[in-house]
Amino acid sequence: MAQDQDRTTVGGNKPKPVNGPGGAGQSAKDRSKAQSRSVSTKSPAGKGGKPGARPGAGGKGGAGGKGGNTPRSGARPAPAAPKRRASGALVAWGAVGLVVVVIAVLVIVKLTSGSTNNANAPYTPVTPAAASVVHDVTNIPLSVYNTVGVTSPTVQVTPPIITSGQPPMTLNGKSPATFYYGAEYCPYCAAERWSMTAALSRFGTWSGLKVTASSHTDVFPATNTFSYYGASLTSPYLEFSGVEAVSNVPTATYYRSLQKPTKEEQNILTKYDSPQFIPGATAGQVGFPFININNLALISGPSYSPGVLSGLSWTDIAAGLNDPTNPVTQAIVATANYMTAAICVGTKGQPGSVCSSPGVEAAAKALKLS
Amino acid sequence: MPNLRWQPVATLLLSIFGLGVSVYLTITHFDKVALVCVSNGTINCEKVTTSPQSVIFGIPVAMLGLAFFVPMIVLCLPAAWRSADRRIHLARLILSIAGVGMIVYLIIAELFIIKAICLWCSSVHLITFILFVIIVTASPIVLAPDHGLALADGDDAYDAG
Repeated sequence: MAQDQDRTTVGGNKPKPVNGPGGAGQSAKDRSKAQSRSVSTKSPAGKGGKPGARPGAGGKGGAGGKGGNTPRSGARPAPAAPKRRASGALVAWGAVGLVVVVIAVLVIVKLTSGSTNNANAPYTPVTPAAASVVHDVTNIPLSVYNTVGVTSPTVQVTPPIITSGQPPMTLNGKSPATFYYGAEYCPYCAAERWSMTAALSRFGTWSGLKVTASSHTDVFPATNTFSYYGASLTSPYLEFSGVEAVSNVPTATYYRSLQKPTKEEQNILTKYDSPQFIPGATAGQVGFPFININNLALISGPSYSPGVLSGLSWTDIAAGLNDPTNPVTQAIVATANYMTAAICVGTKGQPGSVCSSPGVEAAAKALKLS
Repeated sequence: MPNLRWQPVATLLLSIFGLGVSVYLTITHFDKVALVCVSNGTINCEKVTTSPQSVIFGIPVAMLGLAFFVPMIVLCLPAAWRSADRRIHLARLILSIAGVGMIVYLIIAELFIIKAICLWCSSVHLITFILFVIIVTASPIVLAPDHGLALADGDDAYDAG
């Protein structure tokens, strides 16, 4: 005890009581006030009129600091707070560092695992389309076209962009013409081909149609569809060219290239797949799919969401095309009617049985083509 | 003693910006008709925002972002930073920790499950992380017992003697 007393009178190293004079229930401030030596005439409640807000001069907790720790009047005693804050800052930065390390480890593991390599991803090979599928798509009953019109209450359908003042398209020396530019991996192309195949079948005969599915690793994976690679349309009314620029066979970073557009087709892409005609397009960048119907109607992207085709086989989709109440059918047929109406402008209303049908006329009216 | 000077403004601005991006992502989550298929590798916003991982317990992740940034804006108001109520500072700290926990999960989902990165989503992740850094490193100051009193008195320093 004598020792403790001596300690308290020498220099400023006042041992900090465990509980303080007031016992364990006191706050740090109260304990500090109780311990302090009054060296000022200022009352503890001086500044701000807050009783007890400021302890009197003295060591807060008495831990003191270095020798000669003379409290300044009116100032707070030198506290243990800086030590607390220092350890708090350490914990804080430690937590930040931990998060940084965790994220860095994730990124490093990803980069070193080689799993960005797409080459081993599965894909649906391109095979000849079953005769029944081709038949169902190319022989949709007229009543279905007419009943659906352009009405697709469940699935939103976006009409094509109609240009003005553009000359009819010429392809391979023939006019009018329709040009499709897409990719086998592309899920949006997958949706569009169902409508395009149906629409064009009303003007000619398909041959060499094949089936496949979109990418298994992209959005709307493995959407079943046709491929126009090696396919052709024989028509007395129009010229058609379909280019599948990229396949659905994965490579390390993308997909295998397939076809290149001819110079004539590239000129069409350069001119019409551009910000001048397609809102939101990026100059110099071609998107999939791009469909140009006689330079009159342009389609960039899907007319309807490929999600509606999710999980459906080619047979499921094709067989449903005779049901005008089927939402998938409504989306496909409404889009086909839009395409047909635009084609009919170029063919000058031929064939009449198609171009004068109520479904096509409804589409023409919606597009303000009639 | 360190003092809060730029942290309140910085966190408030970050939270507002994060809210803006979350609003945009929420809109694009529900508007599923995209324009073109330009996926050509790792960066594929649509693949990420339409993936199964973009919904947690039936709630779009983008909306969870809204639920994060709206209270964060309130908690990062200058008055909240100045408050003597420790609960406000604790709430801000806990929210920021929850936010960074969520972004770690989302980064795992992007890198290893979806295998694609959404740049917009990554911007939200970055904002959340920066908020976390600022809030956590300011916590020793604002959680000090006399934080609010000190700032209320306008006194910003202890004298070390």
